[in-house]
Amino acid sequence: MLHYVIVRVLQGVLVIFLVSIASFGIMQAAPGSPVDILIGEAQVSDAQVEAITKKWGLDRPWYEQYGTWLKNVVTGDFGRSVIRTGVPVRDMVAEAAPVTLRLNVLALLVAVVIAVPVGVIAGIKRYSPFDYVSMIGSTIGIAIPNYWIGLMLIIVFSLKLGWLPPYGSGSWKSYVMPVSVLALTEMAILARLSRGATAEALSQDYVTTARAKGLRESAVVTRHVVRNALLPIVTILGYRMAFLLSGTIVVETVFAWPGVGSLLFASIDRKDYQVVQAIVLLLATIVVVANLITDLVYAYIDPRIRIQ
Amino acid sequence: MAQELDLLAMLRSADRSTRREVIRRAAGVGIAAPALLGILHANGVADVAAAPGGVQTRGLSRAQDGEPVQGGTMVVTGHQEVASLSPDDDSPTVHWVMVTQIHNALLEMDENYVFQPILAADMPTVSDDGLTFTFTLREGVLFHDGEAFTSEDVKYTYEWYMNPENAAINANLFSSVESVDAPDDYTVVVNLNRPNAAFYAQVGTTFIVPAHYHGEIGEDAYKAAPIGTGAFKLKEWRAAEFTEVEAFEEHFRGRPHLDIFRQDIVPEPSVRAIGLETGDSDSAVWPLTPEDNLRLAEDDNFVTFVTSSLAVNHFPLNNEHPVLSDKSVRKAMMHAIDREAVIDEIFSGTAVLATANLSPAMAQFFNPDVTQYPYDVEAAAALLDEAGWVLGDGDIREKDGQACAFTCTTISGDQTRRPEAELVQQYLREVGIDMQLEEAPVATILEQLRAGNMDASLFNWTYGGDDADPDASVALRSDGTNNFSHFNNARVDELLDLGIQELDPDARAEIYKEIQAIVADEVPFLFMMFWNWYNIFSTRVQGLPEAALAGDQLYRKANEYWVAQ
Repeated sequence: MLHYVIVRVLQGVLVIFLVSIASFGIMQAAPGSPVDILIGEAQVSDAQVEAITKKWGLDRPWYEQYGTWLKNVVTGDFGRSVIRTGVPVRDMVAEAAPVTLRLNVLALLVAVVIAVPVGVIAGIKRYSPFDYVSMIGSTIGIAIPNYWIGLMLIIVFSLKLGWLPPYGSGSWKSYVMPVSVLALTEMAILARLSRGATAEALSQDYVTTARAKGLRESAVVTRHVVRNALLPIVTILGYRMAFLLSGTIVVETVFAWPGVGSLLFASIDRKDYQVVQAIVLLLATIVVVANLITDLVYAYIDPRIRIQ
Repeated sequence: MAQELDLLAMLRSADRSTRREVIRRAAGVGIAAPALLGILHANGVADVAAAPGGVQTRGLSRAQDGEPVQGGTMVVTGHQEVASLSPDDDSPTVHWVMVTQIHNALLEMDENYVFQPILAADMPTVSDDGLTFTFTLREGVLFHDGEAFTSEDVKYTYEWYMNPENAAINANLFSSVESVDAPDDYTVVVNLNRPNAAFYAQVGTTFIVPAHYHGEIGEDAYKAAPIGTGAFKLKEWRAAEFTEVEAFEEHFRGRPHLDIFRQDIVPEPSVRAIGLETGDSDSAVWPLTPEDNLRLAEDDNFVTFVTSSLAVNHFPLNNEHPVLSDKSVRKAMMHAIDREAVIDEIFSGTAVLATANLSPAMAQFFNPDVTQYPYDVEAAAALLDEAGWVLGDGDIREKDGQACAFTCTTISGDQTRRPEAELVQQYLREVGIDMQLEEAPVATILEQLRAGNMDASLFNWTYGGDDADPDASVALRSDGTNNFSHFNNARVDELLDLGIQELDPDARAEIYKEIQAIVADEVPFLFMMFWNWYNIFSTRVQGLPEAALAGDQLYRKANEYWVAQ
């Protein structure tokens, strides 16, 4: 088991390293420079543009820039943003990451607590009214864009009813709408998945066997069906973690939550490569770690994997 | 258009008070007063200078009642992060709105484009040759850390910009400055190496930083922890979330009425509008959607200032491109586009037609008497035919095997201007010009245009008008850094050099009028329109001026406002 973990960690480090080279290369290959954004509409001369470019080391070849970046990262220095120059990139990400994290962890919790039981029940009671209602609901949940739901919620709960603040993250009330919007999409996906997994488990021979040996139906469901149905759900949860962090740009933008998603988006737009690198590194690490944890949990749930 | 003519007819016979009413009504139908001045001027109506500039549409009398109230918070909303609080980075509006609360300059422009002495005790004295400006400074001014403001701070600030080692973004504004002397604590002498008609706008309005503090911590650290003489001092800065400043008790013009001035960052324009309606914010410093602007301007809960933008909404065209280098093609495109329809359909009528590079709001320098480009498909076709661009097999024109085609790259995710580009694409298609559309981030577009690697784009930019000065050397000179169209006209180069050194206002105006005439005739870029700028305030905010020509500058006066409790 320890050997397995070590190999997986080393693989992960390699993946993160390759991802960082790839993202650096892509940022360099795309035309445009952060200096163009920095100077904005200021009245500058060509000589000044050169001076500013030089000041930031943007005139050096890309492999030299990458080397410097890598060397600094290893020592824990993630560099400085060309746009938000007064602040180290580490602080920028440290400011944005908790915002996204809070939003996502809450949304995922809400989604799991509601959607998994709903999906399992729908799977057991297939073609019942409960099944139809929950599946129509989840289809709508997947189909409606976050952006639209977000704006509609703001119009109803902030503008018309005045119950919740329209934007910001100041109080617990301001969590309600963004968490709901994010959770809605996750719920839709999880509910459908749980239903399918449950239905599949129900049709397996071991369920027939369990029933044949006279086990109570509730015991069949909890001990045999749900336990087996959880496997694909856990896989997907690990996979969704990665999506959750990057996929919240829309919600962050609509509700003015300055998280990692919007920071990454804005930084790519401004070609602020140090910030992009730091966030990509963070996301890559999260994906690798989430996958690792998924595999370990998998091994815990499914003894067959542990033995191998 | 009918409504405009109606208004003009009224104006010709009107006395002054009626004129004011006309301008009020004009604002009601979405014409900014400065733009209207331009229209009036264009139609030979004299003596309109006395008319008020920007216009409040609603809530005027109710908002201005009562005595100032101490305390409270005023919240404004911006659209993108406040990445720096240093005066050198104050070009984005969201930055400037905060930087101006914290800092002061010797001279500051007010909401009617008039320079006012602020840290200077009076306007400077100028030597006869126009090369020496002498400022007497206001005494008893303190920085937020309690240190006194003196001539050393001015000298330090100006010299910091002038030092090439600092690679300051605004260094170019100081290119005319030879040296800065501080003979005593309250006198500053600025010596120029050439006359500079834009001296006030370029140098005098530069925010002063404290020599003892900025010199010690350096520019990079200063961006996050500024100290100025302003009415508010920094309280908390979370770049992408909000920036909060609090009243500076010992401000030289007296403590502001407000306790706190805060800018929240709300990227989504509809949510900024809702924030105003729910009372979560008091004003939006960055525009809402045209629909929301028009709706809230009609709402009694808000006071709306309508002003004309100084940045022209335009398609820069690479004048070295095989197709776009042909002046006939560029002129034909101007005729082929129904710009009025674009304004109505895409911007709900909240813009005025551009005649050249300069906004009609720059009334003193604006030249209405230039080549005009009414929507005329036949004229466009005739110009193209004459120049040898003929219809081949398809419906796209060609000449010597070169198809009349180019690519316009719009800003990624630009929901406002992308539909404009699509509509223009259709208009051009009707006369046999093929404009393909692509998208790219701003940074890419600016770099590629500067490098001459991009055919065309679409955004708003100032070609004269920064700080109300008509100089456009950086954008129109053949060697200008922001000469996105690679426009190369010897006479314009010459005029720009003359204009910046001409100190007589009337002679100077003539120079910039000639530049507009050349730009209008040459069409280096497709000048579309000047957007109306809506600055909407909740009636909770009191002490607002009666009128304004420059909407942004309204936020500079936050130290005079108070909020109804």
